[in-house]
Amino acid sequence: MTKPRVAFFDFASCEGCQIEFTNHGDAVILELLNHLDIVEFREAMTETTNEPIDIAFIEGSFTRESDRVRLQAIRSRAKTVIAYGACAVTGGINALKNHQDDFAEEVYGEAAYMPHLRSGTARPISAAIKVDHEVRGCPVSKEELLLVISNLLHGTTYAVPTFPVCAQCKRRETVCRYEEGDHCMGQVARAGCGAPCPADGIPCEACRGFVDDANLGALEKVLVERAGFSQRRAVAKSRMFTANLRS
Amino acid sequence: MGAYFIGAHELLGWVDGLRESTRIIGPVAKRQRFVFAELESAAQLRLDYDVTILPPKKVFFPPKQQILAFDSERVSDCIDPVPTVLLGVHFYDVKGLDMTDFLMRERYEDWNYLAQREATTIVASSVQSVAPRAFWGSIGAHVRPQGHDAMLTKVSEGYVLETRTPKGERLAGLERFRHATDDEVAGAERVNAAVMDQCSQLMPYDSKEIATKVRESFGNEELWDDLAMDCFSCGSCNIVCPTCYCFDVRDSWNVDQTSGQRTRYWDACLTREFAAVTMAGGQKENFREHHASRFRHRFMRKAAYLHDKLGGPACTGCGRCAAACTANIADPVRVINTIMGVTL
Ligand code: SF4
Ligand code: SF4
Repeated sequence: MTKPRVAFFDFASCEGCQIEFTNHGDAVILELLNHLDIVEFREAMTETTNEPIDIAFIEGSFTRESDRVRLQAIRSRAKTVIAYGACAVTGGINALKNHQDDFAEEVYGEAAYMPHLRSGTARPISAAIKVDHEVRGCPVSKEELLLVISNLLHGTTYAVPTFPVCAQCKRRETVCRYEEGDHCMGQVARAGCGAPCPADGIPCEACRGFVDDANLGALEKVLVERAGFSQRRAVAKSRMFTANLRS
Repeated sequence: MGAYFIGAHELLGWVDGLRESTRIIGPVAKRQRFVFAELESAAQLRLDYDVTILPPKKVFFPPKQQILAFDSERVSDCIDPVPTVLLGVHFYDVKGLDMTDFLMRERYEDWNYLAQREATTIVASSVQSVAPRAFWGSIGAHVRPQGHDAMLTKVSEGYVLETRTPKGERLAGLERFRHATDDEVAGAERVNAAVMDQCSQLMPYDSKEIATKVRESFGNEELWDDLAMDCFSCGSCNIVCPTCYCFDVRDSWNVDQTSGQRTRYWDACLTREFAAVTMAGGQKENFREHHASRFRHRFMRKAAYLHDKLGGPACTGCGRCAAACTANIADPVRVINTIMGVTL
């Protein structure tokens, strides 16, 4: 059997999700190379390709019309397209700017007017092309990535968890952030990460996006009643990863 | 079987002695809460705990349990019980284990659970602190805990160990114990009786009455919509419950792509896709689509459906679900007392 040709591409992102793949280290990656032919991956090799590919991992959000052209070109030569990481799946952290107009000077100071900083609305890549699978998270979970890859290799589909992070916290007996007087968004955040943040004493910021039918009304209520937030702060509660998912 | 006494200062020595020959799992502190964990020293043991985050069911049925291993040649089971003493289980959790012991044998014998269960000696212990959300004093009072091998009760100068099985008797055979006097045994009985009034939460109805009324409330959508309004469908109330036993099964390959494992994970009927099935043609059908119907389902199971099977409620009154629910709506005391109070 010929090995599937795999390539990684990046758009507006920090490329951390690609680094997360390399974090598997030699033993795992060398074994994977017996099953995959990686033909383009700028974190780890200089070669690139314009040939057809079997699996395209695309990191980063779609923020410019020129991105659309590049995305379409990748789509047209890739059998399977995977939106890879929060930026590609939901717009991720880049989408914060969609709700404000004063960020450029705040962030870039005098350089704010450099032409390369002129970008449009940060959107998921699915706003430009058809996406076959999603790998969520900021960064992606490298263990989950292996599951996605092995399912692709076996012609099956990885069943992404659709329940909230709370369930994964409970399974590992993490003391709930609310019991420690803190707040959390684990009730509405998609699981699959294994809930590492609350286990380290950090509230969940929903980096994988919201579950379907997320009860945001109840979240606001709990943030006010249990975490002591003002109503305003509860409504505006961290949009860090969910700006595109809210009104 | 027998009744024995051990002085308070001798207890940890006994536990450390046991540790030399078997694994001991008992309640230990985790931040301001408690969990059952393998003791690395007797000094970690916290018999004064109120309730653990997860029930002791996890010793036999872990939240994530490998059930098969495969490679290109063969498939093998992963049943590999470790002789264990499970120490410090409160009576309400013994009742929970009695229920899962029954359910895991019903129709199909689940040896992934039963093998470790049979390799374990359970020493129950008296409740020294009452969890704020507990209501075990008033639910299923007619159901007696049965699955433990011995019961350890703290009395003023030490502990009374009453053994119920030969397995329990073997633990008392070790040095440091002497036969308990009739007064000490009576003292232990008083301690265990007195704690039954200590829960601040009450569910003052007979479980059969509850089963009937809950069943009758099934069609009252307004009531259930109201009760479930703030539900996140997070499943925490299921995951922490000693009597929940549903699981999901997943297969995964190792990185060599030929060997791998089948793993089961605790599932939760409150989550959105629990009752979703794929039909011919690939469409999905979810027979409990709305969060209120899932919320209702949990109470139907605990109070009515399983009541028929178990002869009592499938709820021990541990209060874990009440404490775990960030929306503060999962509490059976709130839900059942509301249902009992309304005219349907
Ligand atoms: S009742 Fe509470 S714990 Fe249970 S699923 Fe709903 S929000 Fe989560
Ligand atoms: S329903 Fe709640 S109180 Fe009853 S046994 Fe389950 S977790 Fe404990």
